[in-house]
Amino acid sequence: MSAAVPRAAASAPAQLVPASRFSIAQLTEAYNQTRVDYLVPMPMNAARLAEYIHSYDVDLEASVVAVDGDAILGLAMLGLRPGRSWITRLGVLPSARRHGLGWALMQGLLAGSDARGLTHNVLEVIKNNAPAYNLFVRCGFHAQSELLVLRRPPSPPPAPASGTVTWLADDAALALLAQRNDQPSWITENESLVRAGQVQAVTVHRPEGGQGWLVFQVQTFRGLPMLLTRLTLRTLTGQPAEVGAALLSCLYTRFPDLDTQAENVAVTDPHLPAFQALGFVEAFRRIEMHRTLGGG
Amino acid sequence: MPDILVVEDNPDNAELARRVLTARGFSVRHAPDAESGLQMALDQTPDLILLDLGLPDADGQTLVNWMRRLPTLAHTPIVACTAWPEETAQRMVAAYGCNGYIPKPINVARFADQIAGYLREGQP
Repeated sequence: MSAAVPRAAASAPAQLVPASRFSIAQLTEAYNQTRVDYLVPMPMNAARLAEYIHSYDVDLEASVVAVDGDAILGLAMLGLRPGRSWITRLGVLPSARRHGLGWALMQGLLAGSDARGLTHNVLEVIKNNAPAYNLFVRCGFHAQSELLVLRRPPSPPPAPASGTVTWLADDAALALLAQRNDQPSWITENESLVRAGQVQAVTVHRPEGGQGWLVFQVQTFRGLPMLLTRLTLRTLTGQPAEVGAALLSCLYTRFPDLDTQAENVAVTDPHLPAFQALGFVEAFRRIEMHRTLGGG
Repeated sequence: MPDILVVEDNPDNAELARRVLTARGFSVRHAPDAESGLQMALDQTPDLILLDLGLPDADGQTLVNWMRRLPTLAHTPIVACTAWPEETAQRMVAAYGCNGYIPKPINVARFADQIAGYLREGQP
């Protein structure tokens, strides 16, 4: 694929080419340059981007880079899963903005997604990023839900959880995910957790009644456990706020020294009071947006 | 001469901080990511760490957490530098044990005074 950006859309000469033509290092450098002036820039190194591509099924052949000769002007990536695609890492260099490249990159991704027969597209945009939000609306997306990115600095829980607690790992932990009844975002879908690996879980059965499970992953820094992430909670019986608090208390009784990032917790998640009770703070919000091929 | 460790992935931001602080008589070292920032802080304990919260290999909160676990860095002043909204920045700074934060883009006229103020606060 190599498509010229239409004159009407872009005043700068640019071509869209598959991201697979570039090394991970080149894509990382370009991605960081597109975000240099963002409110939440979220820079990456090559190892982190490679892990991101793997965990979230990003297809570099379906992802696009806008180039002017040898110069990268912008890029956008596409995750592919059965029946659906996910748009991510969209960005244009500050010096190349306001020439329609964002629109062109989006059209390049959507054309590739549509051609693959994927009828459902999703993406997330940081709340209050009006230019990006408006671009996505013009591309046919509508807001679906509001998601929270939460952080919790290391500390033990306010009180230890009581009840029967069981720790699980690997396949036993992954098996719990089949019981999910929420509507996770792309990065918290079961596929993402499976691909990222290193899944652990805890189940709790409270003496007062109520049971549930929590699946999570431990990320390392310098080879040592540092960050709890990809938290997924499910209440099987009882009140989600109470069961969730019990599960999180178990987690922090076992890992009092670890930092936590919980990404894309829906504002409607019934476990949200449990996160708040355990000391999570809001970092920022995202808006999840959907587009369905053929409308609807 | 106070030793300031600037952990910042954006080379332009790092260079601006270096120029302003060296003009004030501070010694400045620069680390472009969390890994090298931690190593440089361990090699020679700085008088103050100026920390970008968005780093390419690990985010700033994770790095603060790591540094605060280490006896040699547990009490070193750490000042976050971020473009996050004030409310968010204050929440994060308080939660993670930074000594304060300086909004991005830095105010060149005030920046050295801000750092000097945090250095004074950090003195035993």
